[in-house]
Amino acid sequence: MSERTDGRGDVSEPSSTAEDGRSAGDPLLRVENLQKSYGDETVLRGIDFDLDRRDVEVIIGPSGSGKSTMLRCVNRLTEFQGGTISLDGESVMAMNENELRRRVGMVFQDINLFAHLTALENVTLGLRKVLDMSKGDAEDKAMSQLERVGLAPQAASYPAELSGGQKQRVGIARALAMDPELLLFDEPTSALDPELVGEVLEVMRDLADGGMTMLVVTHEMGFARRAASSLMFLDEGKIVERGPPEQLFDSPERDRTREFLARLTTISEEA
Amino acid sequence: MVLSSASPLVFDPIAAQALPLEWLPPDWQFVVRNWDYLAGGLGVTIVLTATSILLGFLAGFPMGAIEVYGSGPLKRLVSTVGVVLRAIPIVVILVFMFFVAPIPFPSGEFGMWLPGIGSFDIGLSAFAAATVGLGLRSAAYQAQIFRGALQSVSGGQMEAARSVGMSKLQAIRHVIMPQALRRSIPGFQNEFTIVLKDTSVAFAIGLAELLKRSYDLFVESTTAVLEVILFISILYFIMTFVTNRTLDYLGEYYAIPGGEG
Repeated sequence: MSERTDGRGDVSEPSSTAEDGRSAGDPLLRVENLQKSYGDETVLRGIDFDLDRRDVEVIIGPSGSGKSTMLRCVNRLTEFQGGTISLDGESVMAMNENELRRRVGMVFQDINLFAHLTALENVTLGLRKVLDMSKGDAEDKAMSQLERVGLAPQAASYPAELSGGQKQRVGIARALAMDPELLLFDEPTSALDPELVGEVLEVMRDLADGGMTMLVVTHEMGFARRAASSLMFLDEGKIVERGPPEQLFDSPERDRTREFLARLTTISEEA
Repeated sequence: MVLSSASPLVFDPIAAQALPLEWLPPDWQFVVRNWDYLAGGLGVTIVLTATSILLGFLAGFPMGAIEVYGSGPLKRLVSTVGVVLRAIPIVVILVFMFFVAPIPFPSGEFGMWLPGIGSFDIGLSAFAAATVGLGLRSAAYQAQIFRGALQSVSGGQMEAARSVGMSKLQAIRHVIMPQALRRSIPGFQNEFTIVLKDTSVAFAIGLAELLKRSYDLFVESTTAVLEVILFISILYFIMTFVTNRTLDYLGEYYAIPGGEG
């Protein structure tokens, strides 16, 4: 936890001015002038930001602002029309998409556990088919990931036998097992009953504390305050404001940011 | 009394000859005495159902997958072939396959043996034409069953599989297909029943299956039409019932715990 707090301090300066100020080598993720449209509808209108290793970026914004689309451009689940995204200095467009996705894990809003497989098999499938691990090795590794999210006792359960929160923790274990360099979270708690949100956020906080690089679309402001090294407010396909969470919460530069955060906070306090 | 409790499928023809049949009405005696001949037809029907369903599955599953995941000329070709096959009456397809299609079907007879039925001969050229005709038509219908089942698996399953780095083919094979096959069992059950009963259409190209052989019988003894037809109806019913229950069992056995899927 103390380590993360230090990390946050480093990022606060350069993040507001985007590119400059970085010292050692390339950022893990660099997004430059990212543009995406579906037909006539423009979703992303030039997004620029860097994400360093061990950083946790929380992305907020109204629905339709392009948050999920941006996330899905990073692992090429969706194609984009303009700009570049680089992972560790290499353009994602130049990479084999399967290799890219092995390196960039994703956790979904609707979880999408493989319905016909047990929790353990959900985690081992990628290990066996993508990394060609033996059954025994894959199971050992999968068990350790399930332990990490506190679900080792449920290894033999099928998704339909798990609660929403447990399912999403398996979803996280499945992504973690591939040893990703970057984890994408697309509203991981939005589909969960309120009382199940906490257990998922706890796992995510542990990951952040452990130094995992994360790009998280969420409106859980408690998580943003505690775990984010940087907060990004996206609206109409553009970054309205980006900075350390305290700065955006306490003294946002833009009125639009203030309004949105005020509404978010009211909603979460009511809930 | 022994006779009345015996199922036709395990009926022993030699014992039947030895049994006194006088207590049966004459037309039923006729049916029982000709069990041997009908049993051969039953064997042909069973084997033809199996080969047609198998061909239908081997061609139909990829066709369904191409309709869901394919694109371009291949997808158009598959869906056009499917529409054409579904639009033509099965009698026409079989007659076409046997008399018109330039396929060099093998000729001669093929001896087979099935438990409870004994040995019987299959006329190869009519059998092959019937298998191709029924099999391709079934492929067109099975393709729709599998297309529906594949489409019913949520897009999120594919995305989740791809986002751990699996290729599209790996995702289809290890994630989508196992779920789709489970969901296709009810539709497949229907198709199985239809193919089983439609093997009787091979009558039109002279294949000595169950209906053709019963026709031979009641042409010989015209008073026994009702008895022969009733008897083979029971046989069709038993086959349909047994395959349906078997597929029910398969569906339960492979059901995903917790009810999803």
